[in-house]
Amino acid sequence: MSSSLAEFPPLIKKDSVWRRIFRSRECYLLLVPTFLLLGIFNYYPAVSAIYHSFFSWNGANVQVFNGFQNFIDLFTDQDFLVSIVNVCKITVISILISISFPILAALLIYRLKADQAGYFYKVVYVIPMVVPTIVIFLIWKFIYSPMDGLLNTMLAAAGLKVFIHTWLGEYNTALYSILFINFPWVSGFQTLIFLAGLQNISISVIEAAILDGTGPVARFLKIELPLISAQIKLVVILAIINSVQGFVNILIMTNGGPGKSTMVPGLYLYRNAMQYGKMGYACAIGTFLFVVILTLTYLNLKYMKSNNDSMGA
Amino acid sequence: MNRAIRHDLPIHFLLIILGIVTFYPFVFTFLTSFKSSYQISHNFWGLPWPFQPSNYRDAWKGISPYLLNSLIVTGGSVIGVLFVASLAAFVFARFTFPGREFLFLAIISLMMMPSILLLVPQFLLIKHLRLLNTRWALILPYIAGGQVFGIFVLRSFMASIPGELFDAGAMDGLSTFQSYRHIAVPMSVPILSTIAIMNILGTWNDYVWPLVTISKNQLWTISVGVMSFSMSTSSFETRGVMFAGYVIASLPLIILFFFTMKSFVKGISSGALKV
Repeated sequence: MSSSLAEFPPLIKKDSVWRRIFRSRECYLLLVPTFLLLGIFNYYPAVSAIYHSFFSWNGANVQVFNGFQNFIDLFTDQDFLVSIVNVCKITVISILISISFPILAALLIYRLKADQAGYFYKVVYVIPMVVPTIVIFLIWKFIYSPMDGLLNTMLAAAGLKVFIHTWLGEYNTALYSILFINFPWVSGFQTLIFLAGLQNISISVIEAAILDGTGPVARFLKIELPLISAQIKLVVILAIINSVQGFVNILIMTNGGPGKSTMVPGLYLYRNAMQYGKMGYACAIGTFLFVVILTLTYLNLKYMKSNNDSMGA
Repeated sequence: MNRAIRHDLPIHFLLIILGIVTFYPFVFTFLTSFKSSYQISHNFWGLPWPFQPSNYRDAWKGISPYLLNSLIVTGGSVIGVLFVASLAAFVFARFTFPGREFLFLAIISLMMMPSILLLVPQFLLIKHLRLLNTRWALILPYIAGGQVFGIFVLRSFMASIPGELFDAGAMDGLSTFQSYRHIAVPMSVPILSTIAIMNILGTWNDYVWPLVTISKNQLWTISVGVMSFSMSTSSFETRGVMFAGYVIASLPLIILFFFTMKSFVKGISSGALKV
């Protein structure tokens, strides 16, 4: 029923559901493309992934139900356990990265008295984000390259030869080098989100604080930081989701090496599926990650304090 | 010096330092892309002189086919997303019908579905549909997934368009599809362009999906293509060509950025919500 028609008194008081469905047939017709695509490419694969995580499955002729065996195997699989430890480190560090420097950058821009200058920095900081992700990884791969890379050449030129490393090839440095990519991490959506949050704070609150003689640091800790807690919550959730399932950075920089020192669950899933043909096992990893993401998001929404519940950026 | 400038000065100083550290790798890439291998080894830090335009000629040969593929795939999926998403959002925003909220929820709940869960079954599905090594393997799933967030944003936007406009349209005898085409879509252009940019960034940067579905290098998109290009030019003699390739691979989005700065900034901030 069209909303414009709804304003006229209905001729028949009670319509059966079937009648209403029949009269809205045009609406359903216009939704067909959406649900056709979602049914084939999203709903079916999602159900299939969870369903097949209980099977030994090679994606073709071999498909044997084995209950929770895949999950039991996962937690006795040394490679997977290593990847869990790594992904925990990655998640914690990513959360710190995505709230520390971006908040600093957003705050600096926000504190500028000249508005045009603020807009200028905002736009300039966005520019690196248009460089394709893969190109950024490849540039950093060169930065870390052991013989003639930017970082080691720089260290040698500064007389700091002791600090030279095979950054991506050593057990102790590989994972942290990957996380260091894009330092100082200010060119990202996080800065934009925090800036939008700060700019939403009403002027009167800030003016009152200044009249009370609140210094710049106290103003940040007592007023601005609590008032962007909704944005912090959002950024933390996104950092968790991206760290738990992400693996493109690892795939390109180290492919999990050296040894298994940078292996993550996402990459392990990818290998099991694409190289070992263990589709059921890969689905079990996917299902596990799905549950982890859902749980962490739920806990975050429930227990992380925020001033309002709007998730708006 | 007036007070505002004096107040801002230390802030500018910090922001500029952050900017320099952020930009240095890109500036280095740009400068090195004009150097010969001799210049790279003897003049690692300095400006390139004389220029080596041949780097760009060689890199263009390697990179341009992938750029074209990415343009086709990205263009096709973005047009698809805009069409399908706006149509669905229009229905959800302007009409009441049985099951409306349930169907909407069924769409929105997909935003919580991590892409890693879908990877294996989607790959096998594409394989069974015999779409591996075709552009459809990329375009169709991109449209399916890309529309979800589009519908979410567009529905509330379209619901805020004054109902009188649609009533007037109905009086003039516009059909449902016509009022979508002539009222809802033109009124939503700003938000449509934000959604477009968000999806362009997503498809342009996607790496894993084209990697698993396309093995024919003639069909590779820029992400997969530039990766293989970098391996084939990584020897020291072709280092300059490699960097020129990186610059060329980045150009289309940089150009798009300079023409659509406002929607771009918006697209990036709202794109964050899409998982």
